[in-house]
This record gives sequence, C-alpha cells and structure tokens, in this order.
Amino acid sequence: MNDSLENTNRDAKLQILILDDEAIVCKRLKPAFQKAGYDVETFTDSASAMSRVNEKKFDIVITDLKMEGEDGMRFLSRIKETAPDTGVIVITGFATPESAKESFHKGAFDFVAKPFRLSDIIDTVRRLEKQIRSKD
Amino acid sequence: MDVIANLKSIFSFFHPSKPPVPFTVLFKKFRSILERNNRILELMADMGDKLGGEYIFDRQYIFEACEQLNDFVFKMISDLCILNQQENVDLFIAFERIQHEIQEELAGRHAFPITKQTILLEDLDADSIDLVGNKFAGLGYIRNILGLQTPDGFVVTTKAFFDFMEHNGITGYIETALSQWDQNDEKRFESICTNVRERILKGEVPRVLASHIAAMVDIMAVKYPTTDLMFAVRSSCWGEDGEYSFAGQYESVLNVPRSSILEAYKKVLASVYSSEAWRYRLHRGYREHEMAMAVGCQLMVDAEVSGAMYTYAPIAAEKEQMVISAAWGLGPTVVSGLAESDTIMIDRTPPYTAYSTEVGFKEMKLVPKVSGGLEWIEVPEKLRNQPCLNSDQIEKLAQTALIIERYKKRPQDVEWAFNKDGKLFILQARPLNIRPKEPEKMPRVIEGTHSDQVIFSGKGVVVQHGIAMGKVYVVKKDEDLNDFPYGSILVSHYTSPRYSRIMQKAHGIITDIGSATGHMSTLAREYRVPTLVDTGIATKSLATGDEITLDTTQNTVYRGIIKELSRFELTGEDVFEDSYEYRLLRRLLKKINPLNLIDPHSEDFKASRCRTYHDITRYIHEVAVERLIDLSEKYYKYHNTTPKRLESNIPLGLVIIDIEKGTRLPPEAKSATMEDILSVPMAALLQGLSESGMWATNPVSVDLGSFMSSFTRTCSASLAGPGQIGRNLAVISKEYMNLSLKLGYHYNLLDAYIGDIVNDNYIYFRFLGGVTDFLRRSRRAKFIADVLEKFDFRVEVHGDLVVAKIKKSSKERMVGKMKILGGLIGYTRQLDVRLTNDQQVTRFVADFVQQIKERTEVSDERFS
Repeated sequence: MNDSLENTNRDAKLQILILDDEAIVCKRLKPAFQKAGYDVETFTDSASAMSRVNEKKFDIVITDLKMEGEDGMRFLSRIKETAPDTGVIVITGFATPESAKESFHKGAFDFVAKPFRLSDIIDTVRRLEKQIRSKD
Repeated sequence: MDVIANLKSIFSFFHPSKPPVPFTVLFKKFRSILERNNRILELMADMGDKLGGEYIFDRQYIFEACEQLNDFVFKMISDLCILNQQENVDLFIAFERIQHEIQEELAGRHAFPITKQTILLEDLDADSIDLVGNKFAGLGYIRNILGLQTPDGFVVTTKAFFDFMEHNGITGYIETALSQWDQNDEKRFESICTNVRERILKGEVPRVLASHIAAMVDIMAVKYPTTDLMFAVRSSCWGEDGEYSFAGQYESVLNVPRSSILEAYKKVLASVYSSEAWRYRLHRGYREHEMAMAVGCQLMVDAEVSGAMYTYAPIAAEKEQMVISAAWGLGPTVVSGLAESDTIMIDRTPPYTAYSTEVGFKEMKLVPKVSGGLEWIEVPEKLRNQPCLNSDQIEKLAQTALIIERYKKRPQDVEWAFNKDGKLFILQARPLNIRPKEPEKMPRVIEGTHSDQVIFSGKGVVVQHGIAMGKVYVVKKDEDLNDFPYGSILVSHYTSPRYSRIMQKAHGIITDIGSATGHMSTLAREYRVPTLVDTGIATKSLATGDEITLDTTQNTVYRGIIKELSRFELTGEDVFEDSYEYRLLRRLLKKINPLNLIDPHSEDFKASRCRTYHDITRYIHEVAVERLIDLSEKYYKYHNTTPKRLESNIPLGLVIIDIEKGTRLPPEAKSATMEDILSVPMAALLQGLSESGMWATNPVSVDLGSFMSSFTRTCSASLAGPGQIGRNLAVISKEYMNLSLKLGYHYNLLDAYIGDIVNDNYIYFRFLGGVTDFLRRSRRAKFIADVLEKFDFRVEVHGDLVVAKIKKSSKERMVGKMKILGGLIGYTRQLDVRLTNDQQVTRFVADFVQQIKERTEVSDERFS
C-alpha cells in the first residue's frame, strides 16, 4: 500500500470486544471488523469477557442478549457501570420491543436483530465510531 | 399424468356443474396459496441468502426458519384441498417425509447414514466427507461441482473400513492393546503397530465387501472397455488434508491390476498403523474412534508429464507468485523428490507470466509397468533438458488451480497430470500449509485514500460473498457468452440461468436487475462466485475491459486491482463455508430448495414425485393456477357477480367477471367503463391500449374508434358477430387478471398478478395465430418476441406461437409492462399483413419501441 494510506490510519484503531455464545458469530464478525480496520477480541462466555473488560478498555462492545450463564443484559449493565464511555451494541436472535427498550434504557447505542447483514453491523459500528471520535 | 387427468375430469365444459364451494371462497383459497407460496419462496431464498455469506446467523435462526417452513407448507397443502376438492394424500405423504428428514438433521442425526461400502466418484457430493474421507470428498467437489477432470473410479468407504476391522477382530485388539499400553513404552508401541499391520495384511476382506469392489471394477470395465484397467489405490482419511495435512503419512499403491486390488486395499489400510502415522495422530490428540480410512481406486492416468503446483509459492507473499514443479512420467517423481524436475514461477494473475523457469536435467522417469507396479526408465536424450510444459499447459494449469483456490478460499497444493492426449487431470488438491502472510495493514479502503477508487458501494444485493479481481466483460446477449474471457467479471443488465455456462470462467458477476433468489444466484453460490445483483447501475458504470476489484463482503466495486483484499480472504482464520452452521444449513436446503418438478407436461409432474418443499409448492402453484383458470372459464355462470360488458371506445367485446374488488361497481351491474376498473393489471392493459394510440398509428387502422370496423374489414366478417365478440373474457380482482382475447384469427392470452409484493408479481402472455400465410405470421411472432425481449420478458417462439413471461418485478415496472402489452396488442393486430419481408421486422420493432416511449409514460431503464 502507498504511504499516504498510513496517514489515514494515524488515529489509533478502535478496540472492539465481541461476546456471543454462538462461536460462529464471533468467528465471522472478527475478520469482518479486522478488515474494516478495527482491533477485535472475541469471547463465547460472559465470565471471560467480563474479566477481559476489567483488564482492558474497549471502545466498543458487541454483545448477544441471551446466553448461557450471565445474560447480555447484565453484561451491558456492568460495562456501563465500569466503563460508561464504552459504546455497546446489542445483537440478538430474540428481538422483542421490550428487550430493545430495555437495552436502550440501559445505555446501549443500538440494537440489532439476528440474523443481520455484515454491512449493517459495520454501518452501526461506523456510526458509533463517529460519535466516539467526535467526543475525543 | 395427474394434472391433465384432473383437468379432464373437471373438463365438463359443455355441462358444467356448479362448484360445491362459492367461487369467492375458492378464490380466497387461491390467494392464500399464492401468499403462502411467496412466503415459502421468500423463506427459502432467505435461507439460501444466508449461504451467500453476507449475513451473520446462528443455529437459532436455522431452527426457526425450518419451523416456519414446515408450517407454511402444511397449510398450503390444506388450502389446496379446499381449492381442488381433493384429499391430496400424496402431497401429505411427501410433506411428512421431508419434514422428518429435516427434524433428523436438526437433531444432529445425519440423514445421510453411512451404509454404503463402495461409491462411484460421480456420485460423490459435498456431504460425502464422512463416507469417503477428506481427500476423495475433495476430489468429489473438484469433479462434480467444479466440473474439472479427475481420473474416474470409485471409493471403498469408511463403512467398509469399520467392517473390515471388525470382521478381523482388529478393532477389539487395538482397544485392548492401547488401554494396557504405558505411554512411555516406545518398544511396546512399535510392537502394537507391527501387530496391527500384520493382522490387516493377513486379514480377510469380508465377502460382501469383496463382491462390492468387484462390481465397481466391472462398472469401470464397461465404461472403459478398450483398456486394461489399472488402478491407483489411494488413502483418504477423516481429517486427512484438513486441519493437519497427514501428507505422505499414508500409502498409495500405483498401477494395480484388477487381480491385486484387494491386496493393495489392505496395504493402504495397514499404512494407517505405521508407527509414524499413528504417532502423528496421537501427538495431535486424535482419538482412535476418529480414525477411519476410505480407499479410492482410480484409473491410472497415462501421464506424459505430471507434478505439483502451489497457488502461493513459499516466498514473500507480496510477490503473489505460484510455483509449478513438473517432470516427465508419473507424479511421484516430483512429489517425493525422487529425481530432478522443472520449477516454474508464475504470476498469480492472467496471463500468468513466468517469472523464472528452471529446467532440471531429467534423466529418468517413472512409468507404469504393463504387469503392474512402476519402473524407472531413461528419458530420451532430446527431452532431458527440455521444459516439460508449454505455455498453453501452464496457463491451463494456473486457471484450474485458481478455480480450486477460489472455491476453497485457501491457497492450494494441487497434484496434476497431463495425459498423452494433452488432457489435464487433477489428482489431488489440499489446502496449502504455507499460507501467505496476512496483509499487515488492512487498508481502510472505503474511508481511506482508496475512496477515490470506489466506483460504487452499497448498491444492490449480495448473492455470494467474496473477492473478485479482473477485467469487466459486459454481456448484452447470449451469444456474447461464447467469447467470455477466462477470469473476467461478468456485467449484465439482468440475471440469467444461462450464465451457468461461464460460471467456471467468471471471477465475479454484477447485474443491474435481478433477485438473489433466482436460479443464477443458486448457481453462483454453488460455484462460490462473488456475485452482486440489482445494483441498478452496473452496465452504466462499468465497461468491457475496465479493471476492477469486486468485494461483496463490503459490497463495493473498486477501480483497479487491490490484491490485499484477496490476500485477506485467503488468510482468514476460518472459512465460513467450512463452518458447522454453513454445512447444516446447506444439508437442510438440499431437502428444501432443489426443484425436481420442472416441466408441468412431464410424466413426473405429480404429487408423489415431490422430493423437496420446493417441489411441493411448485406443484401446488401449478395445480392451483390451472384450477382457477378452469373455474373462471367454465363456471362463470355460477359466479356471484353478474358478468359486466366493458363499455369503451376500444371495442374489444370484453366481458368482465369481477371476483374481488376488480371494479368499483355493485355485483349486479351489467356494464363497466374503463374508469370503473380497479384491477391493477386490467387497468394498466387498457391504459396501454388507449394511451399508446397504437390503433391510430397502426399501419392499417385509421383511428381508435374505427378499430373494430377496420378490423372486420381486414379479417373475416364472421368475427363481427356478437357471439364471437362475447367470447373475450376477463376474470379480474384487485391484483389479478386472466384475459382471453380473440382478435380476428389470433389469440392473446394474458394471466397476470400485480400487487405490492414483488415476489407475487408475474405476467404470462401468449400470442397465437393470424389470418395470413404462415411466413408472415411467423414474422409477426418474431416481431412480438423481439419487442418483449427488449422489455426484459423471457420469450419463447415456436412458429407463430409466442410465449412471454416476466415475474418478480416491482408493481411500477409490472404496470409499465402491462401498458406495453396493451400497446402491443393494438399494434400487432394486423401487422402480419404488413410484414412482407424479414427486414421489416427490425424496422417495426424500432418503430414500436419509439412510439411506446413517446406515447405512454412507460419508462424502462434500458431506454431511459
């Protein structure tokens, strides 16, 4: 790639954490976001994701809602407690108006029903990124 | 034939009995069938879309989609029972069977049980992997999906392996021996290995298995009667060539005569338990029950030259080179490095320029002995220092290897041979362990400096995800496909199943219109060709020869070649197509999507032949449409509404039966004006008839009002009789129209549905007959076909019969098409008289197209 490209990347890459107990979701989102220019870590259980969040600051968290163990809603609450700046996008296969409302109430940036297009989730992240960068 | 028989039984044309259920109720059932049919097709398409890779989905999605499908299909059959007043037992049986198979798959029980001991290569499909091991499953897709040439043959399956081991008591021996083995005792391990190998080599091939193998050899002997059959007997394990390559771990026995196949089979099985191979497995955590060996028996290739090829040379990845090793004679020379060979480094992109060619000194070559086995012989003096491959062969090899790479989305290690006739055979392809380095900086191409390279982004619908690089080739008509250059990106106005011809050559496909649900889309997914449809602007933005990169994972088309994108795809951790969810969905779709009942006139078009949900819905749709037309035509006296005569300055002599909200008139009204018509297709057609003014400009007729008089002047006077005119019938509802129109000596039949849901919409148009000689009538048919093709109809012409269809377009577009048909019906009514020579066809086509554009508000993207 040419040199000028480096300049466009001078802003540090945003850090994304993805939590979904269905491994396929993590496996597919990871390269898509890497390609879109983000650093990505994925987790399939909420306990490890939570402990990672305590170690490292993520700009964006993408989490499933309904999982074994701790559910996404509690994960969302806890992130918002520990790192209120982190933007959270909720993804779920059991989308209901209630769960969407609750997610927003708890501070989620957006709520995306599964299955979704890769481009949709990337667009959502881009919008969130814009918001984050404008705050900087 | 069921349909015809049914129709015949209903065909009490002269004395129709009153239908037992009111027509409006039957029509509601018909509508309900149409709706469910669409929901089902949408859901099928939706599930198919998920295979394209653009969507993120999980298991939950698969479960829910299947549940909905089961529900819809069941209810659709129930609706048909009311519409056709039959029990439709065969349909319910077919439904039960398919539903059961789907449940089994979802429960994780393979509905493809491993029961066969042998299988022909031609019968392998993507789900044969458990049966035939990785290597032959791979050869299966190379041969049966990608259509590349592999040596013919058969596989002795993993089932046969288990049977053999069980039969000879070896399974039990291994279990006991391993459980008692102290893992540090190397000597003991060696002796277990030796013992197992001996038991295998001395073992007896079960009689049933031996006869199965003999039967397979017989099939080969019938297929290839002229040669003495010699086989390559090769291993194919679970997991081999997969995550771990096991390369060279298992034995292959080459040039085996029929009489020695069983011995060779045992030799290959024994190699599973060489201490190296076994240790390799143990080292990598393979459990013993994960070990299953299938053995392929392929005809020997009479190899002139053979070798191996890496689609990524083990050098710096940025160099983007492939490497070919080649030697005279059989492959082991190269693969095992037994003698010197040629090494050619070539570019990864056409025309595959050679960067370097090292010609080895090839003194000896390996060849098959007549009696079996191999031998080294001297290479003729003049060939020793000569390159084994010419540039055509190199190109062919490069293209073929890249077809495999693109399909598997992994760099490939391909073993190949050219036979004495110059035919290329693929002997094996495995993912290459050496992977190109992931591009360090993934350019943020859309936002970064590459944004100036974006030709368009976010347009259209992704059918198959992936990266394609190459030159654009715009296809305007089918003949253009003949010259389709290998490696091009096909750009066209619409999707067509005819593109299946070039699927192998195309790196990508982009169209202006078309849906992700069509046949072409299915093929594109099957071949994994990155495909984008319905962009609206492809043919306007791209021209033949443009170099572009199509990235359907980001739904963007870039100017120029961006190699990083392709390298990123080849270096990803996981290939989506290899994931469990993908494989499960694909297996399920096999029970859902394929359409076997294609031709309604075929013997096989009956309920008992339905093998998939698609078959069931197709069958019901066909039966329901036939039934409705039948009811409309034969039972109209019993409809609840009074037939209404159309009062209009277009004297069509048309009687309308309004079955549901097709007019704004009360049921008892006996006449209707054009303004009373609410039926979308009917209104559009009539509008086309009048707005286009085609009557007035018609070469023969004078003006709109005198249409009938001019008509009767030219044609037989008997047509003026009210009895004849009264035969023109339209059955309409808000969205539906079935129109039979006899004008003079030709017939127009129009069946159309135009509503808000794109997938519901269709127009079926049929034109037949005429008063003039056959030649002139054929010219008129040609004229109609040419016009309709210009407006995106699928047209078939048989003599003076024209059948044109269009479906799944937006309401707006469909209304436009109806207007065109209206104009066309007017324009063509006496055209055959005027078509005195073939050249006039072209002239009149141009005239019509121009007039229809000027006189109606019909706009078509092609002409706008």
